[in-house]
Amino acid sequence: MSLISNRPGAPASSAQDLLSRAAVVAVDLVKIYGEGEAAVRALDGVSLVVPKGTFTAIMGPSGSGKSTLLQCLAALDDLTSGKVFIGGAEISSLEEKDRTRLRRDKVGFIFQAFNLIPTLDAMENITLPMNLARTSPDKKWLDYLIQTVGLKDRLHHLPGELSGGQQQRVAAARALASRPEIVFADEPTGNLDSRRGQELLQFLRRTVDEFNQTIVMVTHDPFAASHADRVIFLADGRVVEEMVDPKADQILDLIKTLES
Amino acid sequence: MWKLTIKNLKARKLRLAMTALAVVLGVGFVAGTFVLTDTMNSAFDNLFSDVNDGLDVIVRAESEFESQLGGSRQPIPESLIETVRQVDGVQAAAGNIQGYAQFVTKDGEAVTTGGAPTLGGAWYDEPKGSLVIRDGKAPVGPDQVMVDAATADAHDFKVGDRITVITQVAPRTFEVSGIAGFGEVDSLGGATLATFDLPTSQEVFNKPGVVDSIDVAAESGVSVDELRTRIRRVLPDGVEAADAQAVAAEIADTIKEALGFFNIALLVFAGISLFVGAFLIFNTFSITVAQRTREFALLRALGASGRQVTGAVFLEAIVIGIIASAVGIAAGFGIALVLQVLLGAFGIDLPSDGLVFLPRTGIVAAALGIVVTLVSAIAPARRAAKISPMAAMRETAPKPPRFSPRRTIAGLVVTLIGVGVLFGGLFGDFGEPAQLVGAGAFITFMGVAVLTPLFAGPLANLVGLPMQVMRMPGKLARRNAARNPKRTAATAAALMIGLALVALVTIMGSSIKASTNKVLDESLEADFTVATGGFAPSFISPQVAVDIAALPEVSVVAPLRLGQFRREDKNSFFVVGTNPATLDEVTDLDVVEGSLRSLGDNELLLYRQTADDLGIGLGDTFGMQFASTGTEKLKVVGLFENKSLVQTDYVISLSTYEANFPEKVDFQVFVKVKDGVSTAVARKSIEAVMESYPSLNLENQAETKEKQADQVNQLLSLVTAMLGLALVIALFGITNTLALSVFERTRELGLLRAVGMSRRQTRRMVRWEAVIISIIGAVLGLGIGVFFGWALVKSLESEGISELTIPYLQLLGYVGAAGLAGVVAALFPARRAAKLNVLEAISTE
Repeated sequence: MSLISNRPGAPASSAQDLLSRAAVVAVDLVKIYGEGEAAVRALDGVSLVVPKGTFTAIMGPSGSGKSTLLQCLAALDDLTSGKVFIGGAEISSLEEKDRTRLRRDKVGFIFQAFNLIPTLDAMENITLPMNLARTSPDKKWLDYLIQTVGLKDRLHHLPGELSGGQQQRVAAARALASRPEIVFADEPTGNLDSRRGQELLQFLRRTVDEFNQTIVMVTHDPFAASHADRVIFLADGRVVEEMVDPKADQILDLIKTLES
Repeated sequence: MWKLTIKNLKARKLRLAMTALAVVLGVGFVAGTFVLTDTMNSAFDNLFSDVNDGLDVIVRAESEFESQLGGSRQPIPESLIETVRQVDGVQAAAGNIQGYAQFVTKDGEAVTTGGAPTLGGAWYDEPKGSLVIRDGKAPVGPDQVMVDAATADAHDFKVGDRITVITQVAPRTFEVSGIAGFGEVDSLGGATLATFDLPTSQEVFNKPGVVDSIDVAAESGVSVDELRTRIRRVLPDGVEAADAQAVAAEIADTIKEALGFFNIALLVFAGISLFVGAFLIFNTFSITVAQRTREFALLRALGASGRQVTGAVFLEAIVIGIIASAVGIAAGFGIALVLQVLLGAFGIDLPSDGLVFLPRTGIVAAALGIVVTLVSAIAPARRAAKISPMAAMRETAPKPPRFSPRRTIAGLVVTLIGVGVLFGGLFGDFGEPAQLVGAGAFITFMGVAVLTPLFAGPLANLVGLPMQVMRMPGKLARRNAARNPKRTAATAAALMIGLALVALVTIMGSSIKASTNKVLDESLEADFTVATGGFAPSFISPQVAVDIAALPEVSVVAPLRLGQFRREDKNSFFVVGTNPATLDEVTDLDVVEGSLRSLGDNELLLYRQTADDLGIGLGDTFGMQFASTGTEKLKVVGLFENKSLVQTDYVISLSTYEANFPEKVDFQVFVKVKDGVSTAVARKSIEAVMESYPSLNLENQAETKEKQADQVNQLLSLVTAMLGLALVIALFGITNTLALSVFERTRELGLLRAVGMSRRQTRRMVRWEAVIISIIGAVLGLGIGVFFGWALVKSLESEGISELTIPYLQLLGYVGAAGLAGVVAALFPARRAAKLNVLEAISTE
């Protein structure tokens, strides 16, 4: 298993160099739930590097640890052992206060559902993290985001007045609004029909291609994963396979071989 | 359903504890009030059941009724003692006299009690009564006094000490001959007692040649009834031979009756707490039913009928009601003790020997607790039954129910009925005004509570507007407070009630102060007032007025005496006896017909409004029943409009007073300084005269105002303290609602935390929401309170409260205090919200 991405670019010459060019570096992540006999190793020595400006999909059967991995990478969950670096800084040993700041300033989130605060309108939801940080959003970037997600006329609607697809697009815009180091998406299309899902994925893809955004997405949908630059396959808390520039049918084939 | 109920209860311990707490506090206050008053009553019963031990018959003048001011009976001739002694079967008989006697401490301060009387009496060796000499000897001769053990103990009086005792005549020094107690008890309910021999008593109580009663013991083998019959034969008309034990019970009853008002007041406060608690219970059930929509829908989908769902909620209410009532009753003991301490802090000392718990306390308190819980659960339980089985399938929680026009109309109607009943009680002329006012206020609160959701949303947005300064947390707090107006409204309503009542008493208080100040400014022409200090009943020796009048610096002295009489309709009122000529010089009673100066024997000056109500006018006669002399017909010779100075509707001359009341003490003396003499000089002379009466104060107008303001303030603080529990319950309501909201918004909080809201910001958000709810409650409460205050003051205009004063600044301060209280109420839910595990929160279903 190669630690370093096969994407074009100079091979890393040193650890420091690697850290600075990667958005996320994870080293030997172990996460154990419970104790003794009942202990479950949800992550069993996962290491990976997510270079800046790439779109990575994480796949695997349920129970494979893919959601746990995402939560650990995003500083939402504690590790049993191992280290996570975001933007060159280690985050796995941070205090709660600094983790909050990290999530606010360096990380964007898109969840499967319930992404929006029901009392805030679309625009307020988009600017929420910056508002919490008391920083002002980059106006041009914000305009571009709103333009691209096609929400210009829905900005002052409450989430309850938006469709599921619109809600997820607002969530995507919020995740990207502060130009975070990295965006974590957990089954972002899980609740959308295929057309809405496709629109959202294309939008995510565009932010990577045009603005060098880094995205890590957990999904069980091969079609969704096919929008990524590479797919990492997890099983029993370990990385078992990796695929670069994947096509949906290749992914499907690989899943079949992995399952057999 | 039973099993399910128990499981549900166990699963929601925290929420349950919060609901139960409201019931516990309300029931606790009710139980505590009962325990306190029962304790008090039993203590008085015990005290007075022993007071006549050893005595069998008491010979005394007949009385028409027992006056609260004492002196219900004329004295009887001393010669009767010997007559009674000669009766066959009398083992011993002795004359007794009671009167006002107040000790002076070695530091020269008058000994005061917490409301109990300062008594003096005559000592006799035979018959053996309940008063027993513990140390020293009986008082003999004009130079000796015996002190009760409690006073001796408290003020370090020893046998052989020389101490001063103030009596009706004048202060005098005596040698302490002995110290006495009532059996094991040191004092009678906190009263002080000075005893002298009979001749000295007659002298210091100004009752030469007479006694108040003759205390008789029977020879063994002679029954009380037999002896009474025998004694009765030798008594003149108007003198009776009473059963000594019955007299003791009578005394206890008189005292308990006087305390009855106090019991009712305490119960009213307990009722208010329970009423406020009902809002909290209702709110908790409403919120939990809404949160459990999916659970109930699932039950319905699985085949439970709507009635079964309602039944389940009711069952929960019953279980909570029973458990909380039981805890509340236990808490009642603690609350009784707290109340006792609280009242003590305000100078109201209540006798107590061990807390008394009557079965009635448990039954009434538990019944109230359970009924209030059940009534509060009716609406939520019915709502639970209406949940459709389809709701189980829905992803998101249902939107808060819309506000129906029907509700608006119902709320308006109820409010109008409440205000109508209130006004009926205040201004109308039917039934029991106090009860009508109470019921009207209660209904008005209900009506406003029904209407509150209508403006809770806009109000929340308005109140929250300045909080936008707090950026995101403030903004979210404002939106959260506005998102479920019914919930916010019900939470704020509890605080609204408490604050409305606080505002009401504040307005009452300031209006009373302003009114009395105005009266003093406009109609009191005296330079000084001689008054007794403190709450304890104490008297002014008539000698004081005589001595002051003899001063060359003084031009007019007008003493007032106070008595109680009964009208022909059997209602008791106070009457003032005065010297009409001198009173006219120092006050302006605003006599509109006739004149004060012409007030003579068997004539009456009447308050105009009362004369109108009774349908009598100048020249008519008015029947007054006096306790010791029976009914007299008095001729109305004048009508007056300003009663604030005399504080009664009835004024008679001093000679009429003396003819009908045995007491010879003043309760207030007005003094006017001669023209050309400086008040400072006069004050010095008057104070020199008064030096030997440490129980008295000389006040100029400013000091009188200050003292009255102090008294009003003290009463206000007591009432506010009693309302404190209702306020505390209301704050618990805020805590509870927010804790439940935090629970309900777990996912939302998780999301906020995930996208970067810090713990501090989370806490701030919850805190600001509490502040918004508190301020809504405060603003609504003050609105109602000002309205009630206005109505009450207007209705009391004829009682001398002519000035409506609304202390806006103070009321505004209450809003601020409510906001601060909101911060405190939010401490727990805010902590909880901030401590949420982000990961668990976002993965909560």
